[in-house]
Amino acid sequence: MIQLKTMLNCIDNSGAAIVECALVVGQKRHATIGDRIVAIVQKQRGATDAGMGAASAANKVKRGDIRHAIIVRTKKKVQRPDGSVVRFDDNACVLINKAGDPIGTRVNGVVGAELRRRKWSKILSMAPTHA
Amino acid sequence: MIIQSARHPLGSWKAVLRRAQQQQQFLLRTMATATTTTITNTSIPPPPPPSSKPKSGWVKSKKVKFHVIKSTVPGKPIRTAFAVYPRGHSARAINPEALKTFHAQQIKRLDKTGARTALFSKANPDAAKPGDVLQVTTNRGGEPFAGVCLSIRRAGVDTAILLRNQLTKIGVEMWYKVYSPTVTGIEIIWRRPKRARRARLTYMRKPKHDMGNVDHLVEAWRRTRNVFTSGKGAKAGQHLGRPGKHAKGKRGR
Repeated sequence: MIQLKTMLNCIDNSGAAIVECALVVGQKRHATIGDRIVAIVQKQRGATDAGMGAASAANKVKRGDIRHAIIVRTKKKVQRPDGSVVRFDDNACVLINKAGDPIGTRVNGVVGAELRRRKWSKILSMAPTHA
Repeated sequence: MIIQSARHPLGSWKAVLRRAQQQQQFLLRTMATATTTTITNTSIPPPPPPSSKPKSGWVKSKKVKFHVIKSTVPGKPIRTAFAVYPRGHSARAINPEALKTFHAQQIKRLDKTGARTALFSKANPDAAKPGDVLQVTTNRGGEPFAGVCLSIRRAGVDTAILLRNQLTKIGVEMWYKVYSPTVTGIEIIWRRPKRARRARLTYMRKPKHDMGNVDHLVEAWRRTRNVFTSGKGAKAGQHLGRPGKHAKGKRGR
């Protein structure tokens, strides 16, 4: 149940650590696994408390950037066509560009298998496991 | 209506059509109740008699009675236009446990050997219980999902189990329907040495009680199973077997 102001973990190596949902693209309901959202980068990976140092040089996105993202995990249960249900312990997403290609080059962590049905095979192939 | 039609030229058409429909209905109504002698324009037609009647025990001479009210003339009550039909038999009287029978029939259809029922039966001392580590194999491909059983939702053919595991340090919970045709196998990987004193182990979501990843248990189970299959008896110590080594050690203290 991702909606306006929801904070999500970003699990790719694009440089974002925590993003905030600003819009669910293409629908008026809350978003779930496989849905596209517009997200604002709230926290950068590798950024220290003092400010953005040299560590953030490799980051493709920085704090305040507005990017599109695909939700890959939700705390809300998602039901599959066969009646089984999956639920994760956190909300997580992967940043993509406008064309739908992932910004990062790797995904750290499990992603939902709903991405296959939603045709996000690029993210699926980057993920170490799917559940 | 005239004002309306002036504003919306099509509105008047709609009104005309509606009126025509109403008239048609009214005509039908009068025809349907034409057999009854006492009829007024404002009478509401009696509800249609139930079309499906049970075969036996049902009143054959289903006579339509009319509601009667008292009149001022003694001995001559007024018969109204309201028909009173005898009450239909309830389905419960014919089949008092319809839902139970349905569940039993569906379980029989989906679980022909009765293994799944036994695996989660309360009567079976070797049944899987909350706190045990179970592995579910599906015919959807992909890896079988193993996890600690947090709860068993007993609901006839809809009986389901909740498994929890940690994949890449993220907690993942899966509900599986026990009798689902997509679930090809459910195996007990590890038995909790001591019986859980709760039916729903939701506290195991907390970091303090979380089991974490159960892959090491799955690995150990696979190794023991390989020993058995390569050895003489493939049937021993498998999925309905007794507690593993771990449990024995605890019990013998």
